[in-house]
Amino acid sequence: MTSIALENNDYKKEIKQKTAKPLLWIGLMSIVMFFAGLTSAVIVSKGTAVWETIQIPSAFAISTVFILLSSLTFYLGERSLKSNQLAKAKLFILATLLLGLLFTVTQYLAWTDLYKNGVVWAGSESSAAGSYFYALTALHLLHLLGGLISLLVVNFKSIKEKYNAENLLGVQLSSTYWHFLTALWVYLYLFLIFIA
Amino acid sequence: MSATHHHHEEQDFLFKYIFSQDHKMISKQFLITGFLMGFIGMVMSTLFRLQLGFPGESFWAIDFFLGSWAENGVMAPDKYLALVTMHGTIMVFFLLTAGLSGTFSNLLIPLQIGARDMASGFLNMLSYWFFFVSTIIMLISLGVEGGSASAGWTIYPPLSALPQAIPGSGLGMTLWLVAMAIFIASSLLGSLNYIVTILNLRTKGMTMTRLPLTIWAFLVTAILGVLSFPVLLSAALLLIFDRSFGTSFYLSDIYIGGQVLEHSGGSPILFEHLFWFLGHPEVYIVLLPALGITSEIVSTMSRKPIFGYRAMVTSILAIAFLSVIVWGHHMFVTGMNPFLGAVFTFTTLLIAIPSAVKVFNYITTLWKGNIIFSPAMLFSIGLVSTFISGGVTGLILGDSALDINIHDTYFVVGHFHIVMGLSAIFGMFAGVYHWFPKMFGRMMNNTIGFFHFWITIVCAYGVFFPMHFLGLAGVPRRYYTNSEFPLFDNMIDINELVTWFAIVAAFAQLLFVFNFFYSALRGPRSSQNPWRANSLEWTAPVEHIHGNWPGEIPEVHRWAYDYSKVDENGEYVSGEDFISQVVPLGPNEKDGGH
Repeated sequence: MTSIALENNDYKKEIKQKTAKPLLWIGLMSIVMFFAGLTSAVIVSKGTAVWETIQIPSAFAISTVFILLSSLTFYLGERSLKSNQLAKAKLFILATLLLGLLFTVTQYLAWTDLYKNGVVWAGSESSAAGSYFYALTALHLLHLLGGLISLLVVNFKSIKEKYNAENLLGVQLSSTYWHFLTALWVYLYLFLIFIA
Repeated sequence: MSATHHHHEEQDFLFKYIFSQDHKMISKQFLITGFLMGFIGMVMSTLFRLQLGFPGESFWAIDFFLGSWAENGVMAPDKYLALVTMHGTIMVFFLLTAGLSGTFSNLLIPLQIGARDMASGFLNMLSYWFFFVSTIIMLISLGVEGGSASAGWTIYPPLSALPQAIPGSGLGMTLWLVAMAIFIASSLLGSLNYIVTILNLRTKGMTMTRLPLTIWAFLVTAILGVLSFPVLLSAALLLIFDRSFGTSFYLSDIYIGGQVLEHSGGSPILFEHLFWFLGHPEVYIVLLPALGITSEIVSTMSRKPIFGYRAMVTSILAIAFLSVIVWGHHMFVTGMNPFLGAVFTFTTLLIAIPSAVKVFNYITTLWKGNIIFSPAMLFSIGLVSTFISGGVTGLILGDSALDINIHDTYFVVGHFHIVMGLSAIFGMFAGVYHWFPKMFGRMMNNTIGFFHFWITIVCAYGVFFPMHFLGLAGVPRRYYTNSEFPLFDNMIDINELVTWFAIVAAFAQLLFVFNFFYSALRGPRSSQNPWRANSLEWTAPVEHIHGNWPGEIPEVHRWAYDYSKVDENGEYVSGEDFISQVVPLGPNEKDGGH
């Protein structure tokens, strides 16, 4: 079996440039449908079951601020890369990772708050509303873990100065995913306020 | 030296046949795995048909295949449910979703659009290996304590949500959910690749309106998959939470053996909504690739351009759009508001319009064509037949007022097996017969193919057509036996007849299996373009190369359906009754399809 062009690095790079972004976008579509399924499940449940009122922990508001800031720093980091200000870019990208971690911590704090208020995930004391609170936020966080891993890689590469204005596909993919997670969180946060 | 050489060869073998990233090899992997699963699903159905046709009788075949599931050769009632469940799961997902799309999307997308390979060979390889792991877990679930999942392929809670509900609700059900979660990942990875490859990697000149209809069908199928499988995943996750962590998304006020369970506040109907939001598009995920394959074969083998190319594309899109707003027709008897039921009836009946457009176009393409009755063409025409006869009963089931009477009867079983099961498997057979030379460089045996087709279509109708009468008489589906009800005493002859047809149909598939493997190894060598077809895959050499074309990728100048094109004098434009897509348009020639 002979190989034509496929092993050629220029060819591989060209295909990657052409297809990596659309692959990500369509992948994001499927995540949208996943959460659309879950949130419409909440609406159906709300219409049929006894719905418990839940006090939204303030930590969720703080985490919203963190994730919005992280998107801002990622945007600034990408912009700095585009103008080849590598030192600035490094800082912004590192800040993004830290803000992402802070978001994770505040999510955990919010769950402990919920638990203290008697909202439990499962068992005889649980209610559908409470379980949805945990399920939606945890599944978002699970997707965010993927984002954090990609941020680790991007940070590592940016510290080693592998990115510049001509070569930043990896950063663009990671930031698209990250902005998506921010938007998804804002949607979920508003949705939680709506169902609480 | 020789050790290194040997090692190198081993590596070559591993990457060429096992961890291949070449779409053509991955397509064969999907085909073989899918057919293997299909064969297992078929054996299961033949076994439970024995029970339905001859209830309570002892058979060596049941004893041989089922062992401890059947004492003295008589199938145990709970194992009957397990078999029905696994038959449905395997056929719908493993054969007709992964087997069909995985095989033909992989084989044809790069070859027909003029690409060297898929957008990401790595994701494509992952897609197959996720599928493979999923099949293994699903098969393992047959052997666990309590048996495999038994709540039906639709796995409605509470049977699926409470591990203590029935024997099959235990570990078997857990493994079912794990296998399906991995299956969904596989399907999503595949779909991502199909969509991006079609949209981004077409060769020069291959505009969207020059794409063969197969590609349109694969594209829309993949889009449906990306939109609907994640919703099934969300439903399955909530189910896993209910089963394993004690949440109450689908459960409320349940007693088992007089004991009150602590679940409250959930609704099993919610699961039905989420399930059928995937479940109905799934019908078209199964069907559209088969319809695309048929379009291609009907046109090539009639030596005529496909009739109404644009109408075909539009109707594929319309069917896909409508398929996501009709799920409620599976739920007419769940206490749905009759007004909502009427809305779902309306959207459901609308699907008849694009479906009829497709059927009309197939028939008008055949009309006055120079028809070549190859096995592929026969199976394609068979698909048109089953699509009509199954579609017509769909109109009855889609009407909420009529559905209430025949819901969950054999009428439904007959309907969906004909319109979805038979149509899709006929499309798949047609595809294998037609593109076998492209896959293996050899021809299949036509005579065996004819026997395979004629026995299959006669038996298939023999199996599923009488089921409508059982259903109209009220015989419910999923019952182990109907012999307890004097009302159905006079139905036993029909059941026996159906079983005989099923047995013959099953044996007829051995003809195909033999033909497939014998031809792959010993069949006559194929020429580069054995069907004298226009589309791009036949411009690639018979010998597979990674990258598909040895030199430049050919440029495309016309649509794929210039068959029997004549000039103003009535002479063939190219001197032959076909013109490949790579031939430039003549000075006075117009491109078709526009």
